[in-house]
Amino acid sequence: MTALPPPTGEPLAPADPGTPPPPPEVGGVQDWQRLSPRMLLVHPVRAIRSMIVPLVLVVFGTTRGDGNSFWFWAAPVFAVLAVLFGVLAWFFTRYRFTEEQLQLRTGVLSRKVVTAPLDRIRSVDLESTPIHRVLGLTKAKVGTGVDDSQIELDGLTRDQASSLRVYLLQRSGGADVDEAEEPRAEGGSGDAAGAGGPRRGEDTELARIDWGWLRYAPFSLSSLVVVAGAVGVLGQFGDDLPLDETEVAQDAWGWVAAQALLVLVAGAIVVVVLGWVVVSTASYVLSWWNLSLVREAGGKIRTTRGLLTTRSQTIEEAKIRGVRMTEQFLLRFVRGAELTALATGVGSDGTTRLLPPAPRRVVQEVGHALLEEDGPLTMTLTGHGPRARRRIHVSRQWGTLTLAGLAAVPTWWLDVGWFATWPWWVPLAVLVGVGLLNVVIAENAWRNLGHALTDRHLVVQTGAVIRTREVLERGGVIGWVVHQGLFQRRLGLADLTATTAAGPERVVAPNIPLGMALDLADAATPGMLQGWRT
Amino acid sequence: MTVTQPSSVPDAAPLHEPAHQVSPRAVRYWALQGFLGAVVVWAILFAVYWFVPDGVKQWLGPVFVAILVYTVVEQALEPLIRYRRTRWEVTGERVFAQTGWLSRDQRIAPLSRVQTVDTERGPLMRIFRLANVTVTTASAAGPIRLTCLDTDVADRVTAELARVTGQTRGDAT
Repeated sequence: MTALPPPTGEPLAPADPGTPPPPPEVGGVQDWQRLSPRMLLVHPVRAIRSMIVPLVLVVFGTTRGDGNSFWFWAAPVFAVLAVLFGVLAWFFTRYRFTEEQLQLRTGVLSRKVVTAPLDRIRSVDLESTPIHRVLGLTKAKVGTGVDDSQIELDGLTRDQASSLRVYLLQRSGGADVDEAEEPRAEGGSGDAAGAGGPRRGEDTELARIDWGWLRYAPFSLSSLVVVAGAVGVLGQFGDDLPLDETEVAQDAWGWVAAQALLVLVAGAIVVVVLGWVVVSTASYVLSWWNLSLVREAGGKIRTTRGLLTTRSQTIEEAKIRGVRMTEQFLLRFVRGAELTALATGVGSDGTTRLLPPAPRRVVQEVGHALLEEDGPLTMTLTGHGPRARRRIHVSRQWGTLTLAGLAAVPTWWLDVGWFATWPWWVPLAVLVGVGLLNVVIAENAWRNLGHALTDRHLVVQTGAVIRTREVLERGGVIGWVVHQGLFQRRLGLADLTATTAAGPERVVAPNIPLGMALDLADAATPGMLQGWRT
Repeated sequence: MTVTQPSSVPDAAPLHEPAHQVSPRAVRYWALQGFLGAVVVWAILFAVYWFVPDGVKQWLGPVFVAILVYTVVEQALEPLIRYRRTRWEVTGERVFAQTGWLSRDQRIAPLSRVQTVDTERGPLMRIFRLANVTVTTASAAGPIRLTCLDTDVADRVTAELARVTGQTRGDAT
């Protein structure tokens, strides 16, 4: 399966897994390659799809009689132009491999060349939309791990893509061996840094989708957005219902109308709940179909998933500096959690989703397998004590005061228009209602707040509504920021930030007692604070 | 549940402050910069006060006076306090900076993880012969700014940092 090199598609002797393969064409700079000509079929489909809304509008406009005949003729012309442009783009898009680099040339009018050093390549993502899959094509995104820019090769054949993936990551895996041997940061973090490096052997599967997990789908908040949007659309139709005609309720048929209204409201709620369940389940199935999370020989982590659009993401394990377990409050009720990898310069924001909402136990097991250490996701953490509790509660209530103040100004001092109808107790209601809510949130935030240090990892848990536990490899800590606001200084608290290149580039332990913060930083990266502790 | 609270949280001494203070000229620079900023704020306040109707003036007046007093007090106190609290240090292998006048922000990074060293002089800073040195690492959360150094000191620090970090291999992530 390790047919090399990808661009030419020439058959090659299968390489020994783990040994660095020869460059694509031995001893020479290769010719520029085009992407698969089958992309010429994809471009028109895309062009038409992007034109479909304007086209429909134009057609509707003209059939209504108030349309402009110019646009009626112009729309197809634009569609043809778009197709033509797609063909030109394909014609002018070429890539090649040199001995050190992958180069991509794009652009019809303004030419652009993007390059990636082969031994800096950290991730290869393959993505196939349904159109791609019908034509046997794949889009490959190649990430170099240092900055966010990715090289996108849209339109490789499936075989090309899979051998490209193997080839690129083998190249970089070979190069990473010497990198792991060099001393990392001062402060003895080097002992932790070498772990997760390239290894030989068989692929092991860390996780596979279990359809029992589908029960967690409705508890995912991301689908709430979709349903809320749908409800909004329904609300538009709701305006057409005769609910405003209150006079109806006053005549003899009043109670009948009232009953009908009740039924209608109950029905709407049932529809929303059902809609939520259906939408969330469907989107869960669509994006996580056939999920498999595999640790490949040579220290790569690969996820494959997707029903219609299939995705395969491969990250070098050495670039995974930690994981994040997320449990939002709905999932907490049913002991569910999600798992995300924190990696350097890979994916959006350095995070790659590894597991969908799944049983917390599974998330912990998979996370531990990935971290190669037991405990970080299950261990009991050290809380931040009573002063942190006070600080969190007080700072939360500032928000309450602000909101109440914002409500007070229009209620008590602005007697114009709609504001004049606000009764005098609105600010008090805001004060009490939001205040109680904030008490609950603050208490939750304090109860969830904690930290720990294991042999190899720094663990920080935060959050009230969404509880997140971030586990960061100690070797991945670049530096520290100890921030103390005015009020925190008086309470002896600090926000401790471990800066890192992975994930969102920081792990923050808020409102941690200063002594604990310094002890934690000192222990996590011995020597970093040396000479500055008292 | 998964978090246990500590039985006692002893008070702890903060880190030692970094060794070096910034250039004494920074006080005048901060004072001038603060004054220019305050002038803009005052101008806006007076302009707004001029145009609002009389009814609003009654309660807007005290608010504006409060803001005015605050800016004046801030002008008087901030530069000196900031000068006392802004400190920096570059040891053989680490860089440490402390900033903030009401809050305190201490940043530490090992030089082996430093990616770029930038020197920057604004027009106002050039009048006072000052420069900022910004040390960035691979983390967007951890740039370390040594503010308002004497230009000569800044040049020396930059050269030294460039020399040390130039010896580091790898991509410092």
